[in-house]
Amino acid sequence: MNDVATPTGTSMDLHPRPAGGTPTPWAFPAPERGTLDNGLTVLRCHRPGQQVVAVDVNLLAPLDAEPEGLDGVATIMARALAEGTDKHSAEEFAAELERCGATLDTYADHPGLRVSLEVPASRLSKGLGLLADALRAPAFPDGEIERLVSNRLDEIPHEQANPARRAAKELSRELFPAHARISRPRLGTAETVARIDTDAVRSFYAAHIRPATSTVVVVGDLTGVDLDSSLADTLGVWSGSAAEAQPVKPITADDTGRVVIVDRPGSVQTQLLLGRIGADRHDRIWPAQVLGTYCLGGTLTSRLDRVLREEKGYTYGVRAFGQVMRSAPDGSGAALLAISGSVATEVTGPALADLWQVLRTLAAEGLTDDERDVAVQNLVGVAPLKYETAAAVADTLADQVEQELPDDFQAQMYARLAETGTVEATAAVVNAFPADRLVTILVGDAEQIAEPVRQLGIGEVKIVTGS
Amino acid sequence: MGHTATPPPSTGGLTATEHRLANGLRVVLSEDHLTPVAAVCLWYDVGSRHEVPGRTGLAHLFEHLMFQGSAQVPGNAHFELVQGAGGSLNGTTSFERTNYFETMPAHELELALWLEADRMGSLLTALDEESLENQRDVVKNERRQRYDNVPYGTAFEKLTAMVYPEGHPYHHTPIGSMADLDAASLEDARQFFRTYYAPNNAVLSIVGDIDPERTLAWVEKYFGSIPGHDGKQPPRDGSLPDSIGGERRAVLEEDVPARAVMAAYRLPHDGTRECEAADLALTALGGGESSRLHNRLVRRDRSAVAAGFGLLRLAGAPSLGWLDVKASADVEIADIEAAVDDELARFAAEGPSAEEMERAQAQLEREWLDRLATVGGRADELCRYAVLFGDPQLALTAVERVLDITAAEVRAVAAATLLPENRAVLAYEPTDSADEHGDSAEAAVTAPAGSAGSTAQEENAAEEAGQ
Repeated sequence: MNDVATPTGTSMDLHPRPAGGTPTPWAFPAPERGTLDNGLTVLRCHRPGQQVVAVDVNLLAPLDAEPEGLDGVATIMARALAEGTDKHSAEEFAAELERCGATLDTYADHPGLRVSLEVPASRLSKGLGLLADALRAPAFPDGEIERLVSNRLDEIPHEQANPARRAAKELSRELFPAHARISRPRLGTAETVARIDTDAVRSFYAAHIRPATSTVVVVGDLTGVDLDSSLADTLGVWSGSAAEAQPVKPITADDTGRVVIVDRPGSVQTQLLLGRIGADRHDRIWPAQVLGTYCLGGTLTSRLDRVLREEKGYTYGVRAFGQVMRSAPDGSGAALLAISGSVATEVTGPALADLWQVLRTLAAEGLTDDERDVAVQNLVGVAPLKYETAAAVADTLADQVEQELPDDFQAQMYARLAETGTVEATAAVVNAFPADRLVTILVGDAEQIAEPVRQLGIGEVKIVTGS
Repeated sequence: MGHTATPPPSTGGLTATEHRLANGLRVVLSEDHLTPVAAVCLWYDVGSRHEVPGRTGLAHLFEHLMFQGSAQVPGNAHFELVQGAGGSLNGTTSFERTNYFETMPAHELELALWLEADRMGSLLTALDEESLENQRDVVKNERRQRYDNVPYGTAFEKLTAMVYPEGHPYHHTPIGSMADLDAASLEDARQFFRTYYAPNNAVLSIVGDIDPERTLAWVEKYFGSIPGHDGKQPPRDGSLPDSIGGERRAVLEEDVPARAVMAAYRLPHDGTRECEAADLALTALGGGESSRLHNRLVRRDRSAVAAGFGLLRLAGAPSLGWLDVKASADVEIADIEAAVDDELARFAAEGPSAEEMERAQAQLEREWLDRLATVGGRADELCRYAVLFGDPQLALTAVERVLDITAAEVRAVAAATLLPENRAVLAYEPTDSADEHGDSAEAAVTAPAGSAGSTAQEENAAEEAGQ
């Protein structure tokens, strides 16, 4: 035990760093799987103490299925589900939901559409009833569809003005072939959204929304809840035709190393987004890629922030991540592998130079065993924290369903991470982030940053303005 | 070690016990064995309201320095050790307090206590000029990223300055000004630590899968020898007249994507029935998709993309209600303000309907359940009530206090406070009036409702980790 001088001149006792105790075993929850008579798949999971129940519904309505020229119809339809049913007007429906203390969110993305209900367990039946009405019998009133379309058009300039969103849009446009839906904005463009009307929404609903191709995930404290009976009375009365297979086109991308500067005059920071595509969850290197990517840029103590933030102070934080765009057993899917963050305008050149140096050093020297060990301990150790809430568990289960993964994928993932060695993690992250095959989007003041960026020699530099 | 209080009547099965070390450190424990995790939360009773003129932003900059090492914790090891143990962590600074928190796998609880004690007792042995210079740059980039480089990003800062007069401790926001951040010296930081970072100016809460006796023994072992001291000056008086006493208004011509109206009202102090009533009033008026402002502006008039109210609860000064309306294309500010005034006046005259009360209470109850769904959320609330109101047990009955408010009280607070003479208004006019619809980006605009007050009221030590 040592003494150390403290601010007031007295002292505190110093003790050696404690060793941890014995871990309590924890496993990612295994859902119980079933099917209702109408073909709706049900996953349920009892999480004691979680009084807000999360209900996620996956609907097999990928953006690829949007008709030509109607990009955004999936989003408008998804939003319109909550704008009135055969029992309630749009205003009444919103009021009924909030009366249960519930929230209902919809999200249309490339693999499909997600509807998420969160509701206190005491009002679960009522919440399920409203959710079922929205899916089973949406009214799609003309006036509400018109309003959603004009509202969506009004949102677009706000997204354009946000540097992170502007960068994401530009990366999709650069990376993917122009004919692929995934190259175009997820929520449509002003031109395509303006064309959407009630007929388009009704057609999309009729073609893609049915119980037989849908899955509902229910997670929370289900003590005293007769879920079977609640489901039978609500989502169980939803009817629709049988499932049909959707053809899926593989995701391809051009990752030739190059730079696109989206000019945003007067920006005090440059938003960085560097990306390409790579292995998704069906690829057996996924755990190694997760591990290596964490070591590169998962947190403040990862390689990127160690230099760019904690040594140089160029940024509040830069992250590397792998985000599944679509994942399927046939290998047609992909994950977006990216590095993102923002750096002060005047140090954009030096920050990118350092970033590339981090990538080159990683490729040359690999990860250390210590780095690998700490990363595994974190990624595996945080699981019980990460999955404390019902919503976190439900989201992961719903993602697994959407990506055609087994229900125990996440549970197995922790074992696979623990088995992944330094060499595999190094190989995966070096393959994922090759210094010469990254498409770099910079949203910032072109006049100030273009020249320093050209001098880096990280690829041809193109400057775009406007949309 | 002090006495153990008798647990009070519980809410939702939650209980908490209170203890005090000889050096004045207050300790709150709450057991929950459902998941093998434990949260440690430490609130220091110091925030931006304690800062002196010319040193705005110092409390938050100092919070960053708390992660730069102490006697036995070199460099970034605080982050590395917690993450390596499978924990997650951060720190935040607001007007009224600075908090630090770790959520750990239960068997690593002792490590988090050791780390917090080490920096509470010995930070100054490690604090140096290099850390200060580095974190000064990081914080300046945090300011750029979150406020200066974002459309409308400085609105909250401007409104705060209009609602709380020059010289008032809440006149400036926690992020501070660039000039003051530049001016902060190592001696300022040392003096700040000596003044405020004492065990008798802090509350430590520990929530989760813990053994209370063993936990208290660890707390005594690690924190018990840190000397208390009483160098702290009370914060400058935050009391103000209930009303601003005349509308303050600024028209901003900026490069923003659309017209917007933002306003801030002086509301009753946190901890009073009137504050709970104000929360219900703002919820009924602008807290969701069935609120009066949403129905009027977004649904019926179609004059706004989004319209909502947020509440920033403050204990040491009047709370702040924040209105945020983003205009639809071609809608004039005057039309939006007229509609808002009309709705506020009507609400003040007639009060909420029984259905509106039921909805508002159900929503606030669910928000509480969400906050209490994690051990970290519970630990933070226990600290909040202990630091600001002297009694952590109040956290366990917070929902009851919301449900106890009557419609008459809600009407009364609206009639007394939601008045033109009690607000500051920012009217945004885009500089580029030829604002054609651009292309779309990757995500929807976040609705301001509910989140309005949370964007600028507190600052984090680090970006949330990915994965």
